[in-house]
Amino acid sequence: MLENLCQKMFRRSLWVYHANSGGCNGCDIEVLNVLTPYYDVERFGIKLVGSPRHADVMLCQGPALRSTADALRRAYEAMPAPKLVFAIGSCACGGGLWFDSYAVLGAVEKVIPVNFYIPGCPPRPEAIIYGVAVALGMVEKKAAPVVFKQAEFPIPTYHPDQLCGENELVVYEKSEKV
Amino acid sequence: MLSKLKETLLCLRPGKVTLPYPAQAQPTPENFRGVPRWNGDKCIGCAGCASNCSARAILVTDICQEIRVLNYIGNRCTYCGRCAEVCPEKAITMSRDFEQATNDVADLRQRLELFMSTCQRCGRCFKISDVLEQLKMPGYRFDDFEQARWVCRSRSFFEGDPLVDDIRIELD
Amino acid sequence: MIASVTAGLLNVVMVLLVSPFLHGLQRKIVARIQARQGPPLWQPYYDLLKLAGKEDIEVGEVPAMQRFAAYLALAVVLTIAFVLPMGTAAPGASIGDAIMLVYLLTLMGICTILAGLAAGSTYSLVGISREMMSMVTLEPLFAVAVLIAGLHVGSLHLDLVLKGGVYAVAGIPWSGLAMLALMLLAFQAFVQRIPFDTSEAETELIEGPLMEYSGPKLALFKYAQMAKLVVFAALFIGLFAPWSGTSNLLIAWLVFWLKVVVLMLFVTAIAALHARYRIDQAIRYFVVMDIASLGALVVAAYGH
Repeated sequence: MLENLCQKMFRRSLWVYHANSGGCNGCDIEVLNVLTPYYDVERFGIKLVGSPRHADVMLCQGPALRSTADALRRAYEAMPAPKLVFAIGSCACGGGLWFDSYAVLGAVEKVIPVNFYIPGCPPRPEAIIYGVAVALGMVEKKAAPVVFKQAEFPIPTYHPDQLCGENELVVYEKSEKV
Repeated sequence: MLSKLKETLLCLRPGKVTLPYPAQAQPTPENFRGVPRWNGDKCIGCAGCASNCSARAILVTDICQEIRVLNYIGNRCTYCGRCAEVCPEKAITMSRDFEQATNDVADLRQRLELFMSTCQRCGRCFKISDVLEQLKMPGYRFDDFEQARWVCRSRSFFEGDPLVDDIRIELD
Repeated sequence: MIASVTAGLLNVVMVLLVSPFLHGLQRKIVARIQARQGPPLWQPYYDLLKLAGKEDIEVGEVPAMQRFAAYLALAVVLTIAFVLPMGTAAPGASIGDAIMLVYLLTLMGICTILAGLAAGSTYSLVGISREMMSMVTLEPLFAVAVLIAGLHVGSLHLDLVLKGGVYAVAGIPWSGLAMLALMLLAFQAFVQRIPFDTSEAETELIEGPLMEYSGPKLALFKYAQMAKLVVFAALFIGLFAPWSGTSNLLIAWLVFWLKVVVLMLFVTAIAALHARYRIDQAIRYFVVMDIASLGALVVAAYGH
């Protein structure tokens, strides 16, 4: 019974540890903005703590660099379960502009498992609060994949022998990938 | 002591400035660049957006003679707006959405499948004959988006391996 | 005997129930002074419950001492709560006297030091060195206050000392008023709030001695910190403002808790409007007050 109560209280008091593994600090500033009076996020019970051992949520920003990947992994493993990871900013979600640089491994999810993604460069403080609200279950997420198909006809198979018969279109298959 | 009291009263004067954010939405400014949205009816498949994308988050390829697929992988997008700026048909608008938080990165994708018309004489889509010429032509690339990570040019493993001496240029 | 044990247990239960609420009130007031909507009033209860439900990672130089320090911290604070008079007669009067109280207060500071030593990392060692420095310069203040009360009253019995013993002289109690002023100025340091929380609550600057704690043990430490405010407020009220106006037990008890809330508001207002002192600035501040308190002790020895 006590366990149940503790688990229900988890979403009402999230303690946050901020880990910047090589970003430009733009998302840092937006995260700090979120803690200021205008966008006060402490009303949801969220507190910034200085040690990953005290924290429930790790806010990662910046891509995972080769030099900081180890430190990021250790900070993640130092957090006690149950834990969440939020990747804030397009660098943490997918590598950002630096995804193919020599110093960058890529998105933060190559190093630690990520639970929530908040894209943006930098994401607005409202976008960060929206992400927190989605994680807490207060709002529904709005992002959904969009598919637009202008013409719907069957994608042909590649062997010429199979092209005869069914449809009048004679479709030439793509030549070998260059 | 009195100055502290005065300070307390001064601090209490503005009241509460917190914006009630998830309860009430705040309007975004005029030129705010949110998520880019493609209008499939206007897009001609020129892949100008793909070649101008700062983070190479737009990938274009043909899956057959008449269908060209434009895939926007939203996780790296920095919302810079270059795609919208360069589009000749104004098919891309930077909408005002910024509430894109999700727990699955595939939610950010947008995919357009466009029908490309064929030449009336020969019945084929316009295609440059030579591979080198194809590579030099801006805008259209053979990006294989099933393996979007092919664009990484360096790889390294940090479990146990030293973090140097492991750059391999990957050509795909 | 039974009455005193019940009174003591009532004290402990009240401290356990009320201290997170007072801490929540503190956070709300600080937030309002900073012009924002703060956390809900019951937030510390949620915090403690959530911490109790997390996984417990035991790490550091000596994990056994880590456990011991966590239990000891809350145990010492609750023992002091048992012993002090909170609106009733002192339940601990039959157990010990004022010297035991001073000893327990010092033990409370040692718990943090043990916690930091158990972790053994650089940040926690720096934190505990600051805590040691603060303790060395701060504990004499309460000890001198208790001594002055003892001098005036003529005994070290808890009931007599903690019923406004510092004022028990004929004429104007100079030493009592001097100690009142000094204790008001130093109260922030005892309850470890800004501007004097360079040792434990320095989770904001460096991690401090609590760095390696996670989950339930951290909940124990946080509870101990919250309870410290109530306990020190009770001590302060007992020494310097014990009048309750009636002899009706219930009214006296309610008046006591009202005084605790007033003291808490005072602490919060100062905490919200100040910056944190560096450790050397804080030590200089305390040393000046120590010298002044010794002066008050000399005046008390002469009967004033």
